[in-house]
Amino acid sequence: MPQVKIIAKNFMDMVASLPAIKLDMLYRNQFICEAILRSLPPLAKKYVLQMLYIDVPITSKSLQEWVIADGSSKHKVAIDRLIQLRVLEVIDRKKETAYKLNSTFQTNLRKHLINGGILPREPMPSNVTARLPTLEELDAYAHGQWECFLLQLISSGQAERSTSFSSSMMRIFQRGLLRQREKEVPRLTESGFQFLLMDTNAQLWYVIREYISNSEEQGVDQADLIAFLLELSFHTTGEAYSLNTLTDDQRAMIKDLADLGLVKLQQGRKESWFIPTKLATNLSVSLTDSSLRKQGFVVVETNFRLYAYSSSKLHCEILRLFSRVEYQLPNLIVGAITKESLYNAFENGITAEQIITFLQQNAHPRVAEKTPAVPENVTDQIRLWETDLNRVEMTPAHCYDEFPSRDVFEAASDFARVHCGLLWEDPKKMRMVVKAEIHMLMREHLRGNK
Amino acid sequence: MVNATKGLFISCDIPMAQFIINLNASMPASQKFIIHVLDSTHFFVQPDVAGMIRSAISEFRDQNSYEKPS
Repeated sequence: MPQVKIIAKNFMDMVASLPAIKLDMLYRNQFICEAILRSLPPLAKKYVLQMLYIDVPITSKSLQEWVIADGSSKHKVAIDRLIQLRVLEVIDRKKETAYKLNSTFQTNLRKHLINGGILPREPMPSNVTARLPTLEELDAYAHGQWECFLLQLISSGQAERSTSFSSSMMRIFQRGLLRQREKEVPRLTESGFQFLLMDTNAQLWYVIREYISNSEEQGVDQADLIAFLLELSFHTTGEAYSLNTLTDDQRAMIKDLADLGLVKLQQGRKESWFIPTKLATNLSVSLTDSSLRKQGFVVVETNFRLYAYSSSKLHCEILRLFSRVEYQLPNLIVGAITKESLYNAFENGITAEQIITFLQQNAHPRVAEKTPAVPENVTDQIRLWETDLNRVEMTPAHCYDEFPSRDVFEAASDFARVHCGLLWEDPKKMRMVVKAEIHMLMREHLRGNK
Repeated sequence: MVNATKGLFISCDIPMAQFIINLNASMPASQKFIIHVLDSTHFFVQPDVAGMIRSAISEFRDQNSYEKPS
């Protein structure tokens, strides 16, 4: 089974890893071109726009002259990214490398700039759709769906109503997040804990990524799915779009997306339609921006007590990961951050930084106005408790002594330093400790010197 | 002739170093694990004692804290 790594915001890496033909196919869609453009690092964005109306290849040398010497590392990152995404094509001439924008990408982005984007489907007129939910209702719906999904993900028993994902599908989402030993309740793995502390957009991308790679196994084209998702993110929140405009694959997918809270499905007398929620329209935005501020709910006091104004079971479960929940009122969870509760969290692979970021991001509006939102003595103590766990550092090593002469000793210590393996040396006693990795090299070096 | 010994290099703060020295001293002679005390914060020990030292430290830490029963 492939190791699933939890990294937020790496959807574009997934796009970049698609084979060349599929990428070219993706670039035929103007919206994808725009979404890709949005996801680029700033410098790369600038390059694309600057090269948009240049039809001849540009040599790498003249590209380099666009930045001052200090920016060369950023320049390299930008160029690498562009080549990876096949936005830039490399043309090798005799001695020089030259770059050119991918022609499909170029024409489509130009068209998009001039004409603006035209979605493949129009919102439905309001006389057909009797009553659309208000934006608040839609937000509440999306939030509810997503939370229900998450609860089902981490503990199948707790969700009040279950989503229509088949249990095999659920297991795919859970792989990597949960670990089940025989006849035991499944336990969250390290990455599962980290997953819960991520913000919604990052979580969403993780689930979508799993979803996409799974549907590949079932014979649905990955590129199609990505194209549809990115396109969906350019629809207007709260407008209704007819289901008839979708292909069969897309219609199958939209049901799953409704379970995640990305869209709301509704049915009229004759037609049915879908309404994209904020979760969907934020998809392509979230690739660059750090997530939009959610309404926070946690108040942390300087005495390490924690008040969470929430009735959600999910929030309670998350807080339980690193604090000791003392009592629960209908709209309030009261807990304490203790050394023991934190050690539990650290054992499960959550880092102090993650906990602190979580507390800061979810700070109640009243305390979020203040800086710092979480009292400094609490954040410092959390960090201190974490470093307290790592007071001893151990490295496999070899110890060398009884050097015949100072020259041999110094040559050997220089040799180890060059190979970044010198851990400790004592010139007086002529003794040194070297990382185990370079023991073989050291041995050869010492033998050669004899 | 240069002599090489396989082992584990430990780097820690001074109180922890004292704890490790004390731990070593409390062991029967056959199980002493420190090969060299390099300086006040560095040791060179037997290669297979990493787990034993870590569990001894965490036990020590647990003795120093009290959790209110719920």
